[in-house]
Amino acid sequence: MTDDTTQDSGNDISESPTNGSDAPIIVCEDVTVSFGDFQALKGISVEVKEKEVVVILGPSGSGKSTFIRTINRLEEHDGGRIVVDGVELNDDVGNLEQIRSEVGMVFQQFNLFPHLSVLRNITLAPQKVRKMSRQDAETLGMELLERVGIPEQADKFPAQLSGGQQQRVAIARALAMQPKIMLFDEPTSALDPEMIKEVLDVMGELARSGMTMLVVTHEMGFAREVADRFLFFDAGEVVEEGTPEHFFTNPQEDRTKLFLSQIL
Amino acid sequence: MNVTNTQDVRGASSAIDRASKWARSNLFDGTGSTVLTLLTAVVATFLIYTIVKFIFVGADWEVVDVNRRLIFLGRYPKEEQWRIWPPMWLVMGLGGLTYGLLSRISLRDLVWLGAAVMFLLVFLATLTNGLLFGAGIILTAAAYGVGRSAVERPRLRARIRLGLTVGWLLAIPFAIVLIAGFGGVKPALWGGLLLNVLLAAIGIGVGLPLGILLALSRASSLPVLKVFATSIIEITRGGPLIAWLFIARFVLPVFIPGFLETDPIVNSMIVVSLFTGAYVAEIVRGGLQAVDRGQVEAANALGLGGFNVTVFIVLPQAIRAVTPALVSQLISLWKDTTLFAFLGFTDALSGGQAAYNQTAFKGDQIEVLLFIALMFWAVAFGMSRLSQRIERVLGIGAR
Repeated sequence: MTDDTTQDSGNDISESPTNGSDAPIIVCEDVTVSFGDFQALKGISVEVKEKEVVVILGPSGSGKSTFIRTINRLEEHDGGRIVVDGVELNDDVGNLEQIRSEVGMVFQQFNLFPHLSVLRNITLAPQKVRKMSRQDAETLGMELLERVGIPEQADKFPAQLSGGQQQRVAIARALAMQPKIMLFDEPTSALDPEMIKEVLDVMGELARSGMTMLVVTHEMGFAREVADRFLFFDAGEVVEEGTPEHFFTNPQEDRTKLFLSQIL
Repeated sequence: MNVTNTQDVRGASSAIDRASKWARSNLFDGTGSTVLTLLTAVVATFLIYTIVKFIFVGADWEVVDVNRRLIFLGRYPKEEQWRIWPPMWLVMGLGGLTYGLLSRISLRDLVWLGAAVMFLLVFLATLTNGLLFGAGIILTAAAYGVGRSAVERPRLRARIRLGLTVGWLLAIPFAIVLIAGFGGVKPALWGGLLLNVLLAAIGIGVGLPLGILLALSRASSLPVLKVFATSIIEITRGGPLIAWLFIARFVLPVFIPGFLETDPIVNSMIVVSLFTGAYVAEIVRGGLQAVDRGQVEAANALGLGGFNVTVFIVLPQAIRAVTPALVSQLISLWKDTTLFAFLGFTDALSGGQAAYNQTAFKGDQIEVLLFIALMFWAVAFGMSRLSQRIERVLGIGAR
């Protein structure tokens, strides 16, 4: 199911101390999701290796957002199997909590907590879930704000920040849980054009640092640069997958060609 | 020096210019507007003249002066009066500290507070009471100062916040223990404005958390909890407060043996808390529904579980969204405490009625009722101002 071409993904990750085991960190087998009569995912089988960056493309309503939302069970799958870092995603609440604390997510609408300061947005989960002390959490929070380039905004409230800054806080907030995997659900779609780059830069830096990432995006330039592999979704199925090179030069399926001709 | 002077003169003349421009565009903009302005001016002058004349010339305030105790304390025994001061100081101190921590006092609030203090001093004016009240005022001002000074110091601020939370939580129990405990005054003897204040305080202190719990239970996915909360809310809201008070007083004792022995005021307090809880629950439920689903998703995605999500993410946003409606409900409770007169308790209103029914003061209803109305209005207005302040402070992070 995985193209041979994905194997050369390791080339990008120069700073990675180990090559990582070849065992996949995310395994999806024949995953289905239905909303009433509508089948949003019709049997998705995908494996993602550690430190791999996978970009998911597809027209709206194709199930790409639903797919990444099933990986931390914001949507429940009703068929198939999902295993994240060796833990199966099922009704076991303990499993769910473990997976959620290892999988970070960034949303299209940022979903920052408007009643909490920027720093508090970041420190809340480490304190409550990881039982980190307030001081440690704040030190970590400031480091992360440093990393996404806005340490001076720590004491402001989300509404006082620009969209791009808010999304960078959201990334810092997710990173504060020290996740092994990051999910991005159209992270730049709600942003004004001039703010997209600052968010993509942070994501690019994250990808180069060896984070395992699943990204739903329409930013093809960015996708081409950082992705190890593309998945093309349509009507709840993976229609085509391969390296960025493969997609830009030699797409096979008609639906892929049509989609690419529309967005490029 | 010269320069400043010219600027002053220019500033003054331009202020007059601005005033006349404002008057022309807002008061005398066309015939209709001019007529309305003049008419309003005539009516307003007449009303104000009548009221002021009544207050300073026509009225005989002796009825209020003589019956101060009756209106403020009802049948509360005089020798136990000292018990009221410590809780009052506690509340004043907490109030000053909270205000100081939240914001700098505005000139407008200062004027209102000053007026209220002057008014109270005039009417409480025995020397002892005046001194005790003055001590409270000094305490309030000092606490406000401490609160202001802590704003820029995060560690002190955090400590004060914790202290405030504990303080406010303990304020009502402290008041009740001090007034009723240690051989104190049993609730049946509480009266006057003190009774209204205690009833409202307990109604708010118990009803607010109870309402939040009921709202969360009703929104919960556990059927038992949901049905239980929904029944309590719907049954309680199905009857007027006065009916519930009568039922608690006269019907329940027949069905629940032992209920008779509870102090009638205590069982009324239970009713008021439940009643307030039911209304608060529905207001808060509205707020819970207004919180964006993305907030819960984001919190869940971070690994935060149900309890943490509710307490740290959903509830604060829900309550902020419904603060105006909540305060409105609490103001309504404050005024509803006068219903207790119907159960035979001497609250401020019935104390006042007793005052103007005395043979010496026949016909002095207006003075008494105006006085009581003013007190109720002052407290209600204070609550409303406080809520605006809270909204503004909470609004910092509003979208």
